[in-house]
Amino acid sequence: MKLILSDTPLNISSEISNGIKYIDLSELKIANCVGCFGCWTKTPGKCVIRDDAVKVYPLIAESDAVIYVSRIKYGGYDTVMKTMLERAIPIQMAFIRLLDGETHHVQRAVALKKAVIIAYGDTGEEEREVFRRLAERNAKNMSFKSWRIVFVNENETESAVMEAVKEWRK
Amino acid sequence: MAEIIILNASPRAPKSNSRLYADIFIKNCKEKTEYYNISKTNHKELCGKINGFTDILFVFPLYADGIPATLLGFLKNLEKNPPLKKPTVSVIVNCGFFEPEQNDTAVDMVKLFCIQNGFPFGSVLKIGGGEAILGTPFRSFAERKIRTLARRVSDGRHCVLKTTMPLPKRIFIKASDSYWIEYGRKNGATEEEMRTMSIEKF
Repeated sequence: MKLILSDTPLNISSEISNGIKYIDLSELKIANCVGCFGCWTKTPGKCVIRDDAVKVYPLIAESDAVIYVSRIKYGGYDTVMKTMLERAIPIQMAFIRLLDGETHHVQRAVALKKAVIIAYGDTGEEEREVFRRLAERNAKNMSFKSWRIVFVNENETESAVMEAVKEWRK
Repeated sequence: MAEIIILNASPRAPKSNSRLYADIFIKNCKEKTEYYNISKTNHKELCGKINGFTDILFVFPLYADGIPATLLGFLKNLEKNPPLKKPTVSVIVNCGFFEPEQNDTAVDMVKLFCIQNGFPFGSVLKIGGGEAILGTPFRSFAERKIRTLARRVSDGRHCVLKTTMPLPKRIFIKASDSYWIEYGRKNGATEEEMRTMSIEKF
């Protein structure tokens, strides 16, 4: 499965076909992770907060290709995307493993992914550099086998997403 | 003389490790300190309180490789409601991973906030093994660095510090397994259940 996860509504219905799921996070109700570790130590693989995030993280786990669309703030994902990514930790275990010589969480049944991150907003080079380093860290903790960041202005977001979807079809 | 406002940006602030790190800082700091938890509803109130302090110390855990959404939300509010005189911003950030360097990106994000909004950036303490270190014989490693941090923030001779458990990584992983198995046992989950590969299907 392929997943488009966006923090803003996108008019891309013409690009959506079988096997592609599009989620507009901005219309979902997703609370902050409360750091209770319930999804690791009480109900493993399942978040104790039963809001819309529970519809999303199973799809993240299942997808072998993802497009994450997010405004950038302080060199990271802005609130809507960041909140969702924090709520996706049920797809990992509490347990730690060595990956490329570093400690990281063991993943549950999570597909390795090709990730494209459409990072939009008015970003300078310094901010982009922080975001590149973040994506490199994400790759290890979010099962990216490859990743690419496309920095765009806000008004170019939709066309950047459509371009990335077209590449899926190649 | 420094006056330091300590803001805990952990999502589980009152019961967090960040709270314990902040307590050690307060105990070892000779200057005036005031401590607050950042909650969803007190951002404006805290932005107002910052006026008059020479320093802010943010204490928080690493979440999804960056600053927690709690801190992100607060920084966005602080950007909109800045104090008249901008204090120097220092951080204590902890992660459950062995390597304190895994906190670097979160530190960079706070630095970027400071650059974009004209706040001087001060000192950093990056803690690895931060979920458990205070309950181990290696507690003193964290305490010693926090003491140094308290001194440096107080006298303005800023620095970057890091600490973790002095263990080979494979032993760290074994110790971490035991920690989480015990955590699960208290919550009624067995190791086998915690190691399930299944993720709920909605």
